[in-house]
Amino acid sequence: MADPAQISTPPAVELRKIDKSFYGVLANADVDFSLSRGEVHALLGENGAGKSTLCSVIAGLYRPDSGEMLMDGEVVDLKSPKDALAAGIGMVYQHFRLVSNLTVAENLALGNPEVGLRLSQSELEAEARELGERYDFPVDPTARIWQLSVGQQQRVEILKLLYRNVRILILDEPTAVLTPQEGQALFRAMRSLADEGRSLIFVSHKLHEVKQVSDRVTVLREGRVVGEVATADAEPRDLARMMVGKDLELPTREPNAAIGEPVLVVKDLVVADDRGLDAVDGLSLTVSAGEVVGIAGVSGNGQRELAQGIVGLMKVSGGSVELSGKDVTSTSVLRKIKRGIAYVPQNRLGMGLAPGLDTEDNLALKQFREPPYSNGPMLNQKAFKTKGAELIKGFDIRGVRPGLPIRLLSGGNLQKALIAREVTQDHCVLIARSPTRGLDVGATAVVREQILAERDRGIAVLLISEDLDELLALSDRLVVIYEGKIVGEMPASEATAERLGLLMSGHSEEQPA
Amino acid sequence: MSRRFIVEPRGLASWWLKLVIPIGSVLAAMVLGAAFLALTGNDWIEVYQKMADAAFGSGRGVAETLVSATPLILTGVAAAVAFKMLVWNIGGEGQLIFGAIMAAGVGIWLSESTPAVIAVVVVVAAGAVGGAFWASLSAVPKVYLGTNEIITTLMLNFIALNLMQYLVLGSSSPWRDPEATQFPQGRPIIENARIPEFFHRLDWGLFVAIGVAVAAWFVISKTRSGFEYRIVGNSFDTARYAGIRVPRKVLGTFLASGAAAGLAGSILVAGILGKMDPRSLDLGLGFTGIIVAALARLNPIAIIPVAVLMGALNNAGPSLQSIGVPDATVQILQGAILIFAVAGEFLILNRIRRPDPTAGEAKATAEAQTA
Repeated sequence: MADPAQISTPPAVELRKIDKSFYGVLANADVDFSLSRGEVHALLGENGAGKSTLCSVIAGLYRPDSGEMLMDGEVVDLKSPKDALAAGIGMVYQHFRLVSNLTVAENLALGNPEVGLRLSQSELEAEARELGERYDFPVDPTARIWQLSVGQQQRVEILKLLYRNVRILILDEPTAVLTPQEGQALFRAMRSLADEGRSLIFVSHKLHEVKQVSDRVTVLREGRVVGEVATADAEPRDLARMMVGKDLELPTREPNAAIGEPVLVVKDLVVADDRGLDAVDGLSLTVSAGEVVGIAGVSGNGQRELAQGIVGLMKVSGGSVELSGKDVTSTSVLRKIKRGIAYVPQNRLGMGLAPGLDTEDNLALKQFREPPYSNGPMLNQKAFKTKGAELIKGFDIRGVRPGLPIRLLSGGNLQKALIAREVTQDHCVLIARSPTRGLDVGATAVVREQILAERDRGIAVLLISEDLDELLALSDRLVVIYEGKIVGEMPASEATAERLGLLMSGHSEEQPA
Repeated sequence: MSRRFIVEPRGLASWWLKLVIPIGSVLAAMVLGAAFLALTGNDWIEVYQKMADAAFGSGRGVAETLVSATPLILTGVAAAVAFKMLVWNIGGEGQLIFGAIMAAGVGIWLSESTPAVIAVVVVVAAGAVGGAFWASLSAVPKVYLGTNEIITTLMLNFIALNLMQYLVLGSSSPWRDPEATQFPQGRPIIENARIPEFFHRLDWGLFVAIGVAVAAWFVISKTRSGFEYRIVGNSFDTARYAGIRVPRKVLGTFLASGAAAGLAGSILVAGILGKMDPRSLDLGLGFTGIIVAALARLNPIAIIPVAVLMGALNNAGPSLQSIGVPDATVQILQGAILIFAVAGEFLILNRIRRPDPTAGEAKATAEAQTA
């Protein structure tokens, strides 16, 4: 790395003052970045810090609003990923770009101008096999993509780029979909690619991975570069602090004194994700009446599975969930609603609300089975109107017209409707996932107020969020989730950026880095 | 501003627009049909007069139009209730045929002395059961194993059709009339199981069909179960979230859809046909029901007039041959109506307007200010 000959040569890729905004929101601001030949350069940052945008700019998918990009010291203007590929830059996206019913070899040939009109399956397969073996990345070239595991599919994505002989590989959160063993194999391949003189950009949230595989780290926060260091010199706690922010605003309110009996008790919970891996892996947690427990963590560490496991939308494969002393682990969603679990899901329109029904219908979405909404098997349309009008007024839901599909309301009004319904039904627990995500300042304040009002009414609130400001503003107690387990716990008043950042990126407190 | 028109979602279409646009679509299709007739050297006024006359010009014509409309109402409801829940049951055809097989079977098996009230109800109900059973062959694998119902319902149409033909034309099954010596025919069902006619060939089956359409509307919009149905039709995830057992709901809807199509079969057998007649049951009524449902925008009440319109067109076709116009003209009209209706649907959902130049500038300034 520290070969003086290399330092004098211009960087493989250099970005100067890159700005990129989407609809007035800055995703990248004034970003300078340089990638040397033969290095693995990690991009570190929280969700929404602008890592993926930056990668997409380099890969030609987005064009920056301003700023310039140089390759080997020459200014380049990439108009498309095709241009980038021709210039030797390739990216492995989080969602693979593979044709699932074609073979590995066929996928490699796809879009390669050198393949021409005639395909020689055997030649393609031989080349694919040779490439795989060279990087210790064995994949059966005759296998069809759908037959492969996610880890193997990722290898195909990388091989596809190597087949096009790219010099610069961008891997956007490649380990998010991998088992630890697959991750290690990926890291070995990354090192051997770098040793050949190729340059790699590695996006991750996980400090230990960054420590293990990268040569340099650039930390992004809110679209800006907040630091660039050689990995060897970087202390994990410094990186964590840079990632999360200088100083966290500590909550100004007093923690709730009137914390009551435990209401929601989760013991050794195990919930598998859609791929069958245990996303929640032996997690225990207690939320008491009148308490807000905030779950902090980088997205994809089991938050979704935890919430859906508790409310009954995902199958619990181990452990137990108790509600006020009664076991509700495997009761139906409806039973759990009746027992008093209110849930504000992250996906408002796709799950919390029926997009095509109007606001009044949506406000009755859970209680329509009981009076006054229904009378035996018949609906009482009048109750829909009167109760609906009450909630629309009480929660200041705007833009409502009878018959107007709720999906046409703004995000803030959608969330107000959703929360109005959840907090006005009989309940003892409120589970909320990222309740203020994407909302404007006004709606955010309303939603936060509602959550604190819930706490003051003696409801046990479980707040799952990736937004630390939100967690600190609302929680009495903070719990950090990492890879499906609770890795740390603290009163909100004792939370520091460094502590949270380390825990969230997988450094347990007992084992300093 | 480079764009000359702006297309944007309308949000909430007014009720009169929902009425005017479909009527306009039909008129537009007729204009197109007239142009086609004129270009091919026909007197389009005469053709339209002849068609109107055949369909509505006499008591017999009206009766025949309604006879044609009856099964279309039922297959239309069958398609609409399934499609509204995103269940793509395109097996109305097969469910109708299997309903007919069941109805004819029961109608043949019943003793001649069965009281008429019981016999009619049992035979008609047997059709609904048969249709639901045929639908269950696709519904159960879909709900519990995730098979694709488009494929299974479509394939089962051919199986039902061949089964019916085998029972009458290819074997000496109880469905075949042993007394038909010339050409194989279906065996007549008992006289007491026939649905009484009240106006020319029109029988009470029409009211069963209208009753089913009204009942479908009532259940969907007025009952608790219908509210659950609407939620499921909106989003499976939302329905699960609201504590609705989605698989059960989908299964129930699929079976109800099959039952409606099956009723069309039994009403034909117990009504105008009096037996299982493979030629008269193989008219694509299940498929036409899909068109009826689409034109009615999946609204069960709107299905009734749309089915009458389609019935009228079917009924008018043969009369055109007397003036030397091929009855395929009717199919051209039906196709044109469908195309215009789809285009009209776009107008109901979206509005098209001229861009407002000042609004564009205002937006640009606002963007400049935020940036």
